[in-house]
Amino acid sequence: MSTDTNQEAREQLIDLAAEFYDQFETGEIPSMSLPTRTKSNIEYDEEKGVWVYGDRTSTRSANSVRGARKLLKATYTIEFLADQLEEDRSSTLRELYYLSESWDNDNAQFNDQDESNGLVEDLEIVSGVTREDFHMRPEESGAKVMGPIHIREQTKRGDRDIHCQLDVGQGGYQIPNNPDMIEFLDNDAEFVLCVETGGMRDRLVENGFDDEYDAIVVHLGGQPARATRRLTKRFHDELGLPVVVFADGDPWSYRIFGSIAYGSIKSAHLSEYLATPEAQYIGIQPADIVEYDLPTDPLSDSDINALESELSDPRFQTDYWEEQIELQLEIGKKAEQQSLAARGLDFVTETYLPERLEAMDVI
Amino acid sequence: MTSFQSTLGEEEGIAEELAENQRAISIAEFFEKNKHMLGFDSGARGLVTAVKEAVDNALDAAEEAGILPDIYVEIQEDGDYYRLIVEDNGPGLTKESLPKVFGKLLYGSRFHAREQSRGQQGIGISAAVLYSQLTSGKPAKITSRTQGSSEAEYFELIIDTDDNEPEISVEETASWDRPHGTRIELEMEANMRARNQLHDYIKHTAVVNPHARLELKEPSAHFKSERATDELPEETEEIRPHPHGVELGTVMKMLSATDSHSISGFLQEEFTRVGKKTATSVIDEFRDRHFGREMSWEPPEATESADVAGAIESATANKGATATADFAETIATTVSNRERISHHKLVDIVESAAEATEDDHGTTFGDTVCENAVEAAWREIVGLSNEIDDDGTSSADTESDADSRITANIHALADDATSTRKDDEVIHAFAERLAGKFEDAEDVRHRFTHGELQSAVDRAAELTEEYDEAAFGDTARENVVEKIWAAMRTVPDDPPLVRELAESRDASSQLVDGMRATDIMAPPTRCLSPITDELIEAGLRKEFDADFYAAATRDAEVSGGDPFIVEAGIAYGGDLQAEGSGDVLRFANRVPLVYQRGACATTDVVKQIGWRNYGLEQPGGSGIPNGPVVIMVHVASTNVPFTSESKDAVANVPEIEDEIELAIREASRELKSYLNKRRSMEKRRRKQNVLGQILPEMAEKVAEVTGNPEPDIDDAVARIMNNVLVERELEENGDGQAVSVIVENHTSTTESFELTDIVSAEPRGLSDGATVVEMDGEWFVKWDGDVSSGDEAVLEYEVDTDASFDLDVSGVESEKLTVTDQ
Repeated sequence: MSTDTNQEAREQLIDLAAEFYDQFETGEIPSMSLPTRTKSNIEYDEEKGVWVYGDRTSTRSANSVRGARKLLKATYTIEFLADQLEEDRSSTLRELYYLSESWDNDNAQFNDQDESNGLVEDLEIVSGVTREDFHMRPEESGAKVMGPIHIREQTKRGDRDIHCQLDVGQGGYQIPNNPDMIEFLDNDAEFVLCVETGGMRDRLVENGFDDEYDAIVVHLGGQPARATRRLTKRFHDELGLPVVVFADGDPWSYRIFGSIAYGSIKSAHLSEYLATPEAQYIGIQPADIVEYDLPTDPLSDSDINALESELSDPRFQTDYWEEQIELQLEIGKKAEQQSLAARGLDFVTETYLPERLEAMDVI
Repeated sequence: MTSFQSTLGEEEGIAEELAENQRAISIAEFFEKNKHMLGFDSGARGLVTAVKEAVDNALDAAEEAGILPDIYVEIQEDGDYYRLIVEDNGPGLTKESLPKVFGKLLYGSRFHAREQSRGQQGIGISAAVLYSQLTSGKPAKITSRTQGSSEAEYFELIIDTDDNEPEISVEETASWDRPHGTRIELEMEANMRARNQLHDYIKHTAVVNPHARLELKEPSAHFKSERATDELPEETEEIRPHPHGVELGTVMKMLSATDSHSISGFLQEEFTRVGKKTATSVIDEFRDRHFGREMSWEPPEATESADVAGAIESATANKGATATADFAETIATTVSNRERISHHKLVDIVESAAEATEDDHGTTFGDTVCENAVEAAWREIVGLSNEIDDDGTSSADTESDADSRITANIHALADDATSTRKDDEVIHAFAERLAGKFEDAEDVRHRFTHGELQSAVDRAAELTEEYDEAAFGDTARENVVEKIWAAMRTVPDDPPLVRELAESRDASSQLVDGMRATDIMAPPTRCLSPITDELIEAGLRKEFDADFYAAATRDAEVSGGDPFIVEAGIAYGGDLQAEGSGDVLRFANRVPLVYQRGACATTDVVKQIGWRNYGLEQPGGSGIPNGPVVIMVHVASTNVPFTSESKDAVANVPEIEDEIELAIREASRELKSYLNKRRSMEKRRRKQNVLGQILPEMAEKVAEVTGNPEPDIDDAVARIMNNVLVERELEENGDGQAVSVIVENHTSTTESFELTDIVSAEPRGLSDGATVVEMDGEWFVKWDGDVSSGDEAVLEYEVDTDASFDLDVSGVESEKLTVTDQ
């Protein structure tokens, strides 16, 4: 990371503080306005093809004790981030939370990590600088890549050239917190396959799927971290690889797909930077449950609620999703990726995925 | 019992033998055995009761004499006994009455008076004397000095319980330092376990008697309660009984004692709120009960066969054709012009027609003629003429052909009174049956009492139910009775004289009923002496250190003929105990009620009120509210209904309970707004405290991050707190400086402020509205005004550069005020 971007991010933060300062000086009540982060306030940006925040805003104002505390914490966090950038260091979100304990002011300390995470998001939104540029890292997400691609990663200890099949173990190449530090060298890849669960990723690697189909297998590890989504987007945008998502056949997995393809509600301000609108959902689709007669579990009440909530989620208002979700509500069942093993351990790599990929015109 | 039965016949003398053992019991003897009835059930309580009786007496005595009471109570420990001394500055007692007041139970001046006073029966103090002699065996020692006498009288006495008379052992003159007053010294077996109640009694007495000075000295405490006012309570006046509040026995006693001859005179003379008009109304009610009412009928229409004029003409003989015709015509016209006519009214009409005809024609129409005319006309009106005229044969025919006039009349009334759902056939059958009662009545005047009418209607209804198999329920019967009763007329008969009435229990009872049924104005309240809301508040302020006080005095109401007034007071906060439930102070006629809290109507009412609505804590939504609160209730009445002779609890009389509730609610209304305000101010203060910490910290940090000097945050804070901000700005101006004091109103309401700026040098060029006064080398700039919400006001002047300032702002609540003056 160059000192220029550091300086730029730092200035953005100090501008924020200066705004508070001016508000005090002119006798106004210090406040900070943010887009409302709910699903009713996201809208589709035609131009960029992603979902971004709408016009509704909520205000953090020093009018109330709560609001005043929030702003005080924001001020302390701004100072911390500005100092960190100046010293060209980085820290994790969790470290920020614990670090607040050392602040001389009880009112400025965070009550829990959700609060500090939320505040960093707030600052990203108002300053227009990403968390990564503040040098704030999430905890290790455990996301890994395996596939026929050669990359160069800038590390604190110098550049490293890595081939993501030949230079890595069974576990694959671990995605760094800031994937913009990666340079793509060359590749033989045909497409990117994002896999929800570790078990399925291991199955694909063991069966040599990445090798056979020239696939870059990206392990999502549940709700994918920003870095994973960013890297996926770069694979697509910079290498022109189609992206498919392979997850469980339940509403929570559709959300995982949603955050890759459309952007998440919490980070809609970064959709342009994180989302891959061209990503496709490979399965498990509710239609597959019927077609392959997969072993299933019944939908729980919370599953049904989640499905219904997805029906009203603007991101899922496409013909494909409406059809699939309604079908699932109708059959009242869900299935895991691993349920394909009911047809044998090789069924997924030899039958299911090739059939689906062909149907989707990926191979 | 069986043994008595078997021996009854054998031993003839048993009744006599038993009779020998029976004898009258003296009241003193009775109370000797039933001490608890007077509040002397234990040593602890006996002492409190004795203090209470002595102090109540002393207060009454001083007030009656128009003296501001000054009462001293002392309790001394003396071996196994306690000595109680109570001294007052009252008018003193004469040598003759003193022994009886203290040495005879039920001796007093107030029992018969309808007037508010503390004591009533004349039991209290003599009961204390009795208790003292029973437990210690020592006589009561009493000193009394009347105003103007040079010496005091000193007595030692006990009560002879056999005949309830004082027994004086020592009687001498003595010297005493008080110019007038009474001192009583009683020795008794007692203990100080009820010390709290004793202190409460004195303290609470002080609350409701702010004009009294009280002092208590007991072995382990000594305190005084000074006066809060030098005004004596307004003197009360005795009133006569109210007609609504007397019972039959009392009325009979009054009837035989009165000098009045007529009932009207008796009523006006002996009762309060009865004038001529009210007396007439009472007598009408009495007449209805005593004589009954006469039924009135609709006069015959021209289309009917009844011929009033014709009947009179044929009944009048030898009076000349023209005069007779004129006479008959006058009566017939007058009758037909009336809506309804009763027998006595017909008599009136005939008599005045007779007089008129006499005047016109010179013929005398005597009593016999009139009687005949009345009879003939009445027959026509009630439609009984056929029976007589047709030789007694055709009466059945006429009845079957058409309804008699009476049946038609009753039918119309009954139809009106019953629901439309009733079958007309049924009503008709009922009306016919009821009409029979009138037709067959012995008294042709159709005079019935309400009771007689009731049973006639019941009978007719029962027959209808039986023969027509139709329901004729209680409501329908009641409605019919009321409808017909309303059509019946009060008779003009003269009521009996008082002396006749006095001899008849039934007639007296009819009079009492009549009095109760008449609307009579509430009794006058000059017989009551409420403390008044102001003095209640003053009394509470004097005895309780609280933040908030409120009181309310209700208008007088009546219960059982006795007027009463309820007052309530509330104190909240301050040094009152915050833990546990609040205190309820109960008073009746200015006397604190110490015992039997749970049996008292006052407590019941306090518990029923939803105190949460008033901002107090009340676990479970009922019961005595929690927190630092004192609720006091005073019931003043000419006759407070106590649950027992010991006068510890007010009985649950609905009228009184209602008033207690209203009084408490009235006083509490202000509490509610006070507590709301206090709460919102507390919230504001808390917010201000927290923000007052956070915002400067934030400002400091922001300044640090941006590398600027610390910003001025007063404006922002005032705006956040919706406060009134007062700031001073100084500007060098040649050799002096221009001063502006700016008042910014960030609240949502218009605020009035008074501002005083003390300047060490003479200010010049003061802006409009400000004044300056010099005092000892300091200049006091005074400036006040209103600032509407969101506005600002500015005070400007010029002063030397070295001047110093001292700014003070009042008029705005401190929670809403931010003054920044460097």
